[in-house]
Amino acid sequence: MNRLISLMIAAGLGFTVAGGTALAAVAMQSETPEQLRATGLVGEKADGYMGLVGSAPAEVRSRVDAINIQRRARYTELAGQRSATIEEVARSTACEIFASRILPGQYYQLPDGVWRRRNGDERVPRPTYCG
Amino acid sequence: MGNWTRNLACALVCASLSGCVQVTAPERPIEINLNINIRQEVVVRLQEDVRDLIQRNPGVF
Repeated sequence: MNRLISLMIAAGLGFTVAGGTALAAVAMQSETPEQLRATGLVGEKADGYMGLVGSAPAEVRSRVDAINIQRRARYTELAGQRSATIEEVARSTACEIFASRILPGQYYQLPDGVWRRRNGDERVPRPTYCG
Repeated sequence: MGNWTRNLACALVCASLSGCVQVTAPERPIEINLNINIRQEVVVRLQEDVRDLIQRNPGVF
Protein backbone atom coordinates (compact mmCIF):
# COMPACT_ATOMS: atom_id res chain seq x y z
CA MET A 1 0.00 0.00 0.00
CA ASN A 2 2.77 2.43 0.96
CA ARG A 3 4.64 1.51 -2.20
CA LEU A 4 1.56 2.20 -4.29
CA ILE A 5 1.07 5.58 -2.64
CA SER A 6 4.76 6.49 -3.17
CA LEU A 7 4.41 5.50 -6.81
CA MET A 8 1.31 7.67 -7.24
CA ILE A 9 3.02 10.65 -5.61
CA ALA A 10 6.05 10.23 -7.83
CA ALA A 11 3.84 9.99 -10.91
CA GLY A 12 1.93 13.07 -9.81
CA LEU A 13 5.15 15.04 -9.34
CA GLY A 14 6.41 13.82 -12.70
CA PHE A 15 3.31 15.08 -14.47
CA THR A 16 3.56 18.38 -12.64
CA VAL A 17 7.15 18.88 -13.72
CA ALA A 18 6.38 17.93 -17.31
CA GLY A 19 3.27 20.12 -17.29
CA GLY A 20 5.22 22.89 -15.65
CA THR A 21 7.89 22.81 -18.30
CA ALA A 22 5.28 22.86 -21.03
CA LEU A 23 3.54 25.76 -19.32
CA ALA A 24 6.85 27.63 -19.09
CA ALA A 25 7.40 27.14 -22.80
CA VAL A 26 3.91 28.37 -23.59
CA ALA A 27 4.23 31.29 -21.18
CA MET A 28 7.50 32.33 -22.77
CA GLN A 29 5.71 32.79 -26.07
CA SER A 30 4.00 35.88 -24.71
CA GLU A 31 6.94 37.46 -22.89
CA THR A 32 7.24 41.11 -23.80
CA PRO A 33 10.60 42.73 -24.55
CA GLU A 34 10.40 44.43 -21.14
CA GLN A 35 10.04 41.07 -19.44
CA LEU A 36 12.82 39.54 -21.51
CA ARG A 37 15.22 42.41 -20.77
CA ALA A 38 14.42 41.97 -17.07
CA THR A 39 15.54 38.32 -17.10
CA GLY A 40 19.12 39.32 -17.91
CA LEU A 41 19.21 36.69 -20.66
CA VAL A 42 18.33 39.10 -23.43
CA GLY A 43 19.61 42.56 -24.32
CA GLU A 44 19.17 45.31 -26.87
CA LYS A 45 21.58 45.76 -29.74
CA ALA A 46 22.58 48.94 -31.55
CA ASP A 47 21.28 47.49 -34.82
CA GLY A 48 17.72 47.65 -33.48
CA TYR A 49 17.18 44.00 -32.62
CA MET A 50 17.22 41.94 -29.44
CA GLY A 51 20.01 39.48 -28.80
CA LEU A 52 20.93 36.73 -26.36
CA VAL A 53 23.50 37.84 -23.82
CA GLY A 54 24.87 34.33 -23.24
CA SER A 55 23.23 30.98 -23.64
CA ALA A 56 19.50 30.76 -23.13
CA PRO A 57 16.79 28.10 -23.28
CA ALA A 58 15.21 27.31 -26.62
CA GLU A 59 11.94 29.00 -25.63
CA VAL A 60 13.75 32.27 -25.02
CA ARG A 61 15.62 32.02 -28.31
CA SER A 62 12.46 31.42 -30.29
CA ARG A 63 10.65 34.26 -28.56
CA VAL A 64 13.53 36.64 -29.35
CA ASP A 65 13.45 35.49 -32.99
CA ALA A 66 9.71 36.11 -33.18
CA ILE A 67 10.08 39.60 -31.75
CA ASN A 68 12.90 40.44 -34.14
CA ILE A 69 10.83 39.33 -37.10
CA GLN A 70 8.08 41.69 -35.98
CA ARG A 71 10.57 44.50 -35.53
CA ARG A 72 11.93 44.07 -39.03
CA ALA A 73 8.38 44.21 -40.39
CA ARG A 74 7.75 47.51 -38.59
CA TYR A 75 11.09 48.91 -39.73
CA THR A 76 10.36 47.93 -43.33
CA GLU A 77 6.97 49.59 -43.19
CA LEU A 78 8.29 52.84 -41.75
CA ALA A 79 11.24 52.87 -44.13
CA GLY A 80 8.84 52.77 -47.06
CA GLN A 81 6.76 55.59 -45.64
CA ARG A 82 9.71 57.85 -44.89
CA SER A 83 12.12 57.23 -47.75
CA ALA A 84 14.75 55.75 -45.49
CA THR A 85 16.56 52.44 -45.55
CA ILE A 86 15.47 49.66 -43.23
CA GLU A 87 18.83 49.87 -41.50
CA GLU A 88 18.44 53.60 -40.90
CA VAL A 89 15.04 53.03 -39.29
CA ALA A 90 16.34 50.08 -37.27
CA ARG A 91 19.39 51.93 -35.93
CA SER A 92 17.39 55.07 -35.22
CA THR A 93 14.97 52.97 -33.20
CA ALA A 94 17.88 51.47 -31.31
CA CYS A 95 19.06 55.00 -30.46
CA GLU A 96 15.66 55.62 -28.91
CA ILE A 97 15.57 52.25 -27.13
CA PHE A 98 19.01 52.90 -25.65
CA ALA A 99 17.85 56.31 -24.46
CA SER A 100 14.62 55.19 -22.83
CA ARG A 101 14.03 51.44 -22.50
CA ILE A 102 17.10 49.94 -20.90
CA LEU A 103 16.60 49.86 -17.16
CA PRO A 104 19.45 49.70 -14.61
CA GLY A 105 21.15 46.30 -14.66
CA GLN A 106 19.92 45.45 -18.14
CA TYR A 107 22.11 44.60 -21.09
CA TYR A 108 22.92 46.48 -24.28
CA GLN A 109 25.38 45.99 -27.11
CA LEU A 110 27.16 48.72 -29.04
CA PRO A 111 28.54 48.16 -32.56
CA ASP A 112 31.75 46.71 -31.06
CA GLY A 113 29.75 43.58 -30.22
CA VAL A 114 30.46 43.66 -26.49
CA TRP A 115 27.55 43.11 -24.08
CA ARG A 116 27.50 45.71 -21.33
CA ARG A 117 25.27 46.14 -18.34
CA ARG A 118 23.68 49.45 -17.46
CA ASN A 119 25.28 50.45 -14.18
CA GLY A 120 22.60 52.01 -11.96
CA ASP A 121 21.29 55.26 -13.39
CA GLU A 122 24.29 56.02 -15.57
CA ARG A 123 23.34 57.02 -19.11
CA VAL A 124 23.56 54.24 -21.68
CA PRO A 125 26.27 55.20 -24.18
CA ARG A 126 25.06 55.43 -27.78
CA PRO A 127 26.75 55.38 -31.17
CA THR A 128 27.81 58.86 -32.32
CA TYR A 129 25.22 58.91 -35.13
CA CYS A 130 22.48 58.90 -32.49
CA GLY A 131 23.32 62.51 -31.76
CA MET B 1 60.06 53.84 -18.01
CA GLY B 2 58.30 55.55 -20.94
CA ASN B 3 55.88 53.74 -23.24
CA TRP B 4 58.42 53.65 -26.07
CA THR B 5 61.16 52.12 -24.00
CA ARG B 6 58.70 49.69 -22.44
CA ASN B 7 57.47 48.58 -25.85
CA LEU B 8 61.03 48.18 -27.09
CA ALA B 9 61.92 46.05 -24.07
CA CYS B 10 58.83 43.88 -24.61
CA ALA B 11 59.62 43.49 -28.30
CA LEU B 12 63.16 42.41 -27.53
CA VAL B 13 62.02 39.93 -24.90
CA CYS B 14 59.34 38.61 -27.25
CA ALA B 15 61.81 38.25 -30.05
CA SER B 16 64.15 36.19 -27.91
CA LEU B 17 61.47 33.79 -26.69
CA SER B 18 59.68 31.29 -28.89
CA GLY B 19 56.16 32.33 -27.91
CA CYS B 20 55.09 35.53 -26.29
CA VAL B 21 52.05 37.75 -25.83
CA GLN B 22 52.27 41.53 -25.80
CA VAL B 23 50.57 42.65 -22.63
CA THR B 24 51.08 46.39 -22.88
CA ALA B 25 48.10 48.26 -24.26
CA PRO B 26 48.40 49.82 -27.71
CA GLU B 27 49.10 53.53 -27.79
CA ARG B 28 45.93 54.53 -29.56
CA PRO B 29 42.44 53.24 -28.70
CA ILE B 30 41.31 50.33 -30.84
CA GLU B 31 39.05 51.72 -33.53
CA ILE B 32 36.44 49.51 -35.07
CA ASN B 33 34.97 50.73 -38.30
CA LEU B 34 32.08 48.50 -39.24
CA ASN B 35 31.14 50.60 -42.26
CA ILE B 36 27.98 51.82 -40.62
CA ASN B 37 26.86 54.58 -42.95
CA ILE B 38 24.15 56.09 -40.83
CA ARG B 39 24.06 59.85 -40.83
CA GLN B 40 23.00 61.74 -37.77
CA GLU B 41 20.62 63.91 -39.80
CA VAL B 42 18.66 60.81 -40.79
CA VAL B 43 18.40 59.69 -37.17
CA VAL B 44 17.15 63.14 -36.18
CA ARG B 45 14.64 63.19 -39.04
CA LEU B 46 13.23 59.82 -37.99
CA GLN B 47 13.21 60.52 -34.27
CA GLU B 48 9.53 61.37 -33.84
CA ASP B 49 8.38 58.52 -36.08
CA VAL B 50 10.57 56.08 -34.25
CA ARG B 51 9.22 57.18 -30.88
CA ASP B 52 5.68 56.67 -32.18
CA LEU B 53 6.65 53.29 -33.55
CA ILE B 54 7.91 52.14 -30.17
CA GLN B 55 4.86 53.43 -28.33
CA ARG B 56 2.36 51.98 -30.77
CA ASN B 57 3.89 48.49 -30.64
CA PRO B 58 4.22 47.56 -26.97
CA GLY B 59 4.73 43.84 -27.47
CA VAL B 60 7.52 44.42 -29.96
CA PHE B 61 9.73 47.10 -28.36
